[in-house]
Order: sequence, then C-alpha cells, then structure tokens
Amino acid sequence: MDRALKARLESRFGDDLRGPVRQRHDQTEIRIGPGAVTQVLASLHDEPSFRFEFLADLAGVDTGEVMQVVYHLWSDTTPDWLRVIADGLSRDDPRVPSVTFLWKGAEWMEREAYDMFGITFEGNRDLRRIYMPPDYTSFPLRKDFFLPDDAARSPGAGVRPMERTHAPRNAPATATVRRSGA
Amino acid sequence: MTTTSHHDAPLGPGVSGSSDDPRVALDRDLGVFEPVPPYPPRTEREAEFYTLADGQLLINMGPQHPSTHGVLRVVLKLDGERVVDLDPVLGYLHRGVEKLCENADYHHVISQVDPLEYVSSLFNEWAPVMAFEQLLDVQVPRRAEYIRVLSGELNRIASHSLFLGWMALDLGGLTPILWSFIERDEIVELLASLTGQRMLFNYFRIGGVNGDLNHDFMSRLGDWMGRATEQIDAGMSLLNENEIFVRRMRDLGTIDTAQALRMCFSGPNLRATGVPFDVRRAHPYSVYPELDFDIPTRAEGDSLARYLLRMDEVRQSLRIIDQCLHQMPDGPIMAKVPRLLRPRPGRAYAAVEAPRGQYATYAISDGTHQPFRMRIHDPSFIHLQAVGPLMEGHLIADTMAIMASLDPIMGGVDK
Repeated sequence: MDRALKARLESRFGDDLRGPVRQRHDQTEIRIGPGAVTQVLASLHDEPSFRFEFLADLAGVDTGEVMQVVYHLWSDTTPDWLRVIADGLSRDDPRVPSVTFLWKGAEWMEREAYDMFGITFEGNRDLRRIYMPPDYTSFPLRKDFFLPDDAARSPGAGVRPMERTHAPRNAPATATVRRSGA
Repeated sequence: MTTTSHHDAPLGPGVSGSSDDPRVALDRDLGVFEPVPPYPPRTEREAEFYTLADGQLLINMGPQHPSTHGVLRVVLKLDGERVVDLDPVLGYLHRGVEKLCENADYHHVISQVDPLEYVSSLFNEWAPVMAFEQLLDVQVPRRAEYIRVLSGELNRIASHSLFLGWMALDLGGLTPILWSFIERDEIVELLASLTGQRMLFNYFRIGGVNGDLNHDFMSRLGDWMGRATEQIDAGMSLLNENEIFVRRMRDLGTIDTAQALRMCFSGPNLRATGVPFDVRRAHPYSVYPELDFDIPTRAEGDSLARYLLRMDEVRQSLRIIDQCLHQMPDGPIMAKVPRLLRPRPGRAYAAVEAPRGQYATYAISDGTHQPFRMRIHDPSFIHLQAVGPLMEGHLIADTMAIMASLDPIMGGVDK
C-alpha cells in the first residue's frame, strides 16, 4: 500500500472523488463519476507526478444496480496498481467517455465492454460488437442475462429465453438479479 | 432454350428431401463469408474501411487460413499486392469464459481458464489464483511459490520455442517447427510428469499447487537442463544465421515506444521497443524478487527484434529454473484452505508476466461461493489489434509474418 499515492490523489482530485481512496494489498482504488473520466485519466496520464502511461486493463462491471467501467493503471512512480472506477452509470443507458484519445489500444477493450454490457463509449470510432454476431441483441455479461442451465436464479417460470433479456426494462420485476456488495 | 444444372432443379412436389439426396445436401454458401457485411456500416471506422477507392479490393484471409493461429478472419483491403488496411473479425472461438467463471465456484474457475492461451496454460491459472488469494488473504507457502515459478518458466520456454517454429513456418520455412516441437515436447512431457497433463495442466490451486515435485519430474528435468542450452542454441542458429529470414524480418512491422504504449502493448512486444517493462520486476509477485535475472530489451521494435527478444528470454528462464532448483525450500505445498470458499466482499487485481505479456485477472467477490465478476485481461487480444496499424503498406505475405511476430493465440483473444 502506497500511502503517499493516496495523499497525492486526495489533494489533486479531491472534488472529483466519490468516496474515500481505498487501499488493500497492492492496489489503490478511487471512484469517480462518468463525467470526470476524461479529465482525471488525462491528468493521471500526463502529469509528471503521476505518469500512469500504462493502461493495464479496462473492464466493464454490472453490479446489478449500476454499471461501472474499471481502469487499471501502472506507473513507475508507485508500487501500486491504481484502480479507477467510473461509477454510477445507469443500467438503462450506460454512457462514459472513451479513453482512446490516450490509449488507442483501449479501442478493442471498449468494444468488448460494449459487446458484453452495452456500455456506450462516447468518442470510440469503432464501437461495434466484437465477439458476438452483429445481429445479436443481448448483452451476455449483464446480471439479468441467465445461462440456460441457471434455472435456480431465474424467475418462477424457469428458464427465460435469452434473447428477451437484452433490455433491462423488459425484465420482469420478479427476476432475482445478483447484486454486489463490493 | 435454357439449360439448368441438376443442382438448380427444384425438388418436385411430394419429393421429400432426404439427407443423402445431393440436391439437399449441397449448400454451396455454407461457410462462405462475404468480405463486405450484408448490413449498412454501424460505425465511423467501419464506413471508412468498407468504402473502396479506385483500384482497391477486399479479400478474406481466414477463418480457416493456416497462418492465423486459430480461427480468425481478417478482411484485407488491398491495392495491388499492398495492404492498405485490415479489419480482424473475431468471435469464432468465443465461449464466454468470463460468464462461465461467474457461474462456477472459485475452485472450478481454474479449469475454466486453462484453455484460453492453450500454449501457456499455467499463466492462465496463475493470475486468477493470485487474485483469489488476495480476496481470501491466503498466504501461499514458499515451496509452492517456488514450484509455481519453476513450472511457469518451463512453460514459458515451451511457449517461446513453439513461437520460434510458428514464426518460421509462417514465413515458409518448414524445418524449425519440427525442431522446436522436439524441444517443446520434452518440456511438455516434463510438465506432464509433474501435473498429469500435457497442455491444460489444471495444476495451481488457491493457496498452493496440486502436487509436489516427484522423482520422475526431477530426473527428467536434470537430464533436460544438461542439454537445454545447447539444444535451444542449435534451434536458433537455424534462423539467426539464415540471411533470408533475417532480411525478411528486419524493418518489418516497426513500432516505436510511444506508439507501443498507446496501443497498450506489454511483454516481449513492448520490450522489443526498448521499454524494460516486465511485471515480474515492475510489479513483483511470487518469489521473483529473490531471483536474479535480467530483463532483455531491444531498441529496434521490428519483427526481428521481437523474435530475438523472445530467444533472449528463454536464456533468462533457464537461469531462473536453475536458481529455483538450488533455492527450493522444504515445507508444505498448500495453505490450509477450506473446500468451499466464501471470500469477504471485495475487489482484487492480479497480473502475471505471461509469455505474451501482462496476463491479468480482476475479480470481484460478493461474499458468495462464486466470483461476482471475473475479468480476464489477455495480452494476445491487445496485440492483435495492432496488426492493422503495423501492416500499412506492407505486402500480403507480410501480414502473416507480422502477426506471427506479435504471437497472438486465438484461444486467448476470443475467450
């Protein structure tokens, strides 16, 4: 745990942070709103005291209540991984700015997050499905997408047809969506 | 009078189509992929790609092309024999591993992730296992860590020697792959005597490894270590001293440091541009801080540099194996871990230096026996998207050379 990094992040991004800077093992975690993504990541990338030039990972997360986009960054200024969570994207229309202006390599990772969660990355030039066929309508990693053999958590009727789960507003109120406490 | 072939003749009324009727069985469009998709472009980039200038044409390479290292379709936009642009079409091997992991319990995940990068399976297991250990706050015994490093480095050598063969094969040289398979087979048999499997080892466990070093493994390893350096050098001399190979590879698909970082490169492909970024040193894990090894880098950033760098890494791996054997402590190989794991809610990120780059897992626990979210970051996926930018202006035949030098494994790309 890098305490100095925590202090630097708090003093630099104090207003953008949603909640405290968390640290556990070798990871430092900050949460920001989707509106602050462009500015915070550009600062982390460019400013000489941070120099987070290596985007280690970009992941979409569906907590069952909101969508998140999670960035993992590496820099030689700290021994920690920095985890930036863009929190609070609505599940009906999740939108977040693209980071392809900093890392062109994020393009496919954003396409994957779009394909799996339906998150729209504004500014990504090539936001189309990457794994699933182009005429596919669902988003498989969402929490209201059940596997065919996952009848235990499906509503009373048993297995719901996969293709009908694509829009959360269509989901019956009885669906037991798994929610994260994390 | 028009003549119709019997293929086009309609089935008469009342004639049922049986499966051995050639008119029924023959579906000539099956497995044919039109390079131009049958729908209007959905994105700016797609519109740009599928708009042809004068004299340009689109052709498919794949999905069954032998040099795509798996099932990948690449749509090439050609001007004469020069590649103007290309668009990889993925998903032919997609099997939704992340979703399967979310519906498996923590121990089952290990067997789900094994077939991702199937030539370096131990690293596929290593990252999730490390992430789960963080979630559970499990301390892995030192002997287990040494066994992990030992078997992992063996796996790295196997993967790199296979790369050497593939690389040459994609350039049209048949001999190196036969030689490198000798090398790889010995290592694979070694690992089989340790883990019980040749490719999909299923060997690492949350809190340790599945079995201790045994006599069969140790005697084979001692035998192999005695001649490994010599054997690997012999294999490399086939290519390193081959003028055709070297000239072909030099200045092919060059990428500079800034662009490589922008493309999120890692592993040998990034180090070939001069950045000494290796997760084993940049963000140490396991017992790597106790081991003495160098991080080879090269400044050129071309295909030749990427090839030579991997060969340098093999020598470093041999050094690490040697040290592991000398420093291997006694003790248990498993921490005390319950059968049913219910980590407290939390998030963990763990990355390992796989043969292809940073292989990482981001796991979220919600307190149940299944991971709530299991993100797998695969370096092949990242490197494959650079083929387009690297290709511009090169010849069709160089597509395969550049792709091979980036060394993507489609099992990992498609997840």
